[in-house]
Amino acid sequence: MLLEVKNLTIPTLDQKCVILNKVSFKVKEGSIHAIIGPNGSGKSTLAYTIMGLDNYKPSEGKIYFDGKDITNMNITERANLGITLAWQEPARIDGLSIPRYISLGIKDKANMKEEIIEALKIVNLEPERYMNRIIDEFLSGGERKRVELAAAVAMKPRLIILDEPDSGLDMIVIEDFMNIFNKIKELDMTILLITHREDIGMVADYGTLLWRGDALITDEFPKVMLRYCAKAGLKEFCKRTLFKNGGFCVDEDYIDRIFREEGQS
Amino acid sequence: MSNVEYPREILESLEDYNIDIRDFLPGHGKGAKLLLDFNKIRGMEDVDGVILKGREIENGIIADVIIKEGTKIEEPVHLCFGVNKETGIQEIFPRIIVEDNADATVQAHCSFPKANGLIHKMFGHFYIGKNCNFTYSETHYHGENSGALVAPVGYVYVGENSVFENNFYLTRGTPGKVKIMIDIYAMKNSVIKSNIKAFGKSKNDSVRIRDSVFLEGENARSVIKMKAVAKDGGEVLMFGITEGNAPRCNGHVECSEIVLGKGSICRARPFIRAIDPTSSVSHEASLGRFPQKWLDELQAKGLTEEEATQILIEAMLQEER
Repeated sequence: MLLEVKNLTIPTLDQKCVILNKVSFKVKEGSIHAIIGPNGSGKSTLAYTIMGLDNYKPSEGKIYFDGKDITNMNITERANLGITLAWQEPARIDGLSIPRYISLGIKDKANMKEEIIEALKIVNLEPERYMNRIIDEFLSGGERKRVELAAAVAMKPRLIILDEPDSGLDMIVIEDFMNIFNKIKELDMTILLITHREDIGMVADYGTLLWRGDALITDEFPKVMLRYCAKAGLKEFCKRTLFKNGGFCVDEDYIDRIFREEGQS
Repeated sequence: MSNVEYPREILESLEDYNIDIRDFLPGHGKGAKLLLDFNKIRGMEDVDGVILKGREIENGIIADVIIKEGTKIEEPVHLCFGVNKETGIQEIFPRIIVEDNADATVQAHCSFPKANGLIHKMFGHFYIGKNCNFTYSETHYHGENSGALVAPVGYVYVGENSVFENNFYLTRGTPGKVKIMIDIYAMKNSVIKSNIKAFGKSKNDSVRIRDSVFLEGENARSVIKMKAVAKDGGEVLMFGITEGNAPRCNGHVECSEIVLGKGSICRARPFIRAIDPTSSVSHEASLGRFPQKWLDELQAKGLTEEEATQILIEAMLQEER
């Protein structure tokens, strides 16, 4: 396993309640692992805690990366181990050129230009259009997200955490992003995909359902999504969407059983 | 004029600015140019539609730059006010006239690589006619000893329907003591963009910049953006003024300053005034540290907090291109 989260508990800053409650799951190397759950279930908190942001210290539990306990490591140390995060709303650091921004995490300084071009191609940004551009107000939200993703990919990390990569994007672009995630996976990078959208989660191999701070299930993604729909009482939606690679993922009897288990008809 | 001897140190001090310094030498490049070495004119070259005139005076020069009516030049007019001495007084009295319908850029470099008690003063007048598109960029380098005392004053008149962009950069080397005052008067339908960037690096650096725009004509518009960093005891004061004195004019002042290290001081004083009920003037100012989220984003790419801060300074003080 590349990542193991064990009994992770994150309290609020005033320590009065918990955002994540003894959350445990494992992420297999080379997979796309989705963390799904409704708004407020603790998904982004989990992403920031794994990345090691200052305000997200667990009161309990451990995080292991490639077998190594990283719970007390800071954000830079974790990044240097091969973990990075592409942010839901990346800051617009005006003034830096796009290649300069992408270059920040590149270790192979000798082939910098080639690495930047390669990263731009992976996220479907034409190098000839973006190699001379500056990060400024003329860059759209979608372009900014791709640049952020390119910078993450250029690091060649072992684990990329994608925090709601679909937010603010239209459907056509989301389809393209799903293809990009598959390209990243083919480059032997593992993706931890934080999303509350079931359709984008269908690109995932595995998933974990977060519900009000609890990790309810970790399994193959269709099964996790089925449980999510059952918790939310969305049977018809579930039957309409549980498709992967052109085929229906789960048989209807199984769906009925899971819904009954969750007290839904 | 060609084959002019110009101090190597001054030219080398411009190398960091992503420019080909050879283009600025007489006999090279396509643009008009005027090169001043302390108080001596070392080179002056006109192009079609651009007239340069210079006269040496006791402590400097009086210079005229005239962009003739309807002239559109692609290469910037280059003014280099260099001093390759530690001390002395250099006084410049430029008068820049952009006649109607002209489209041009003037790039000035003020480079004092050895300054250690050097005084540079400028008293400039700019007259920009109607329907012009004119950019004036001034980049300063005052060496590494905090040894310059620099006090430029500029008055700019921007005619009807003209666009004027003013860029001032003091971001490399050490500024020393700097006191700058710019007054811009914007006539009907004109557009003013003013970008000021400065970096005070030590307790021997003090930068005070007053950038004023007076919206005197109907529908005149302006944006002043002032960005500064003060570190290790440096002091920066940004004073951005906009007055809306005409119907439907619209102005905005933006100051953002970052304070790093003990003893550093950043001050921002946006001052806005509107005397016409249909005018609109606004300001925003922020001082302090970089947002933690920005640092986190860069640290997630493997940078230390210090390296991330350096990158953010680089971005903030980047010259507009």
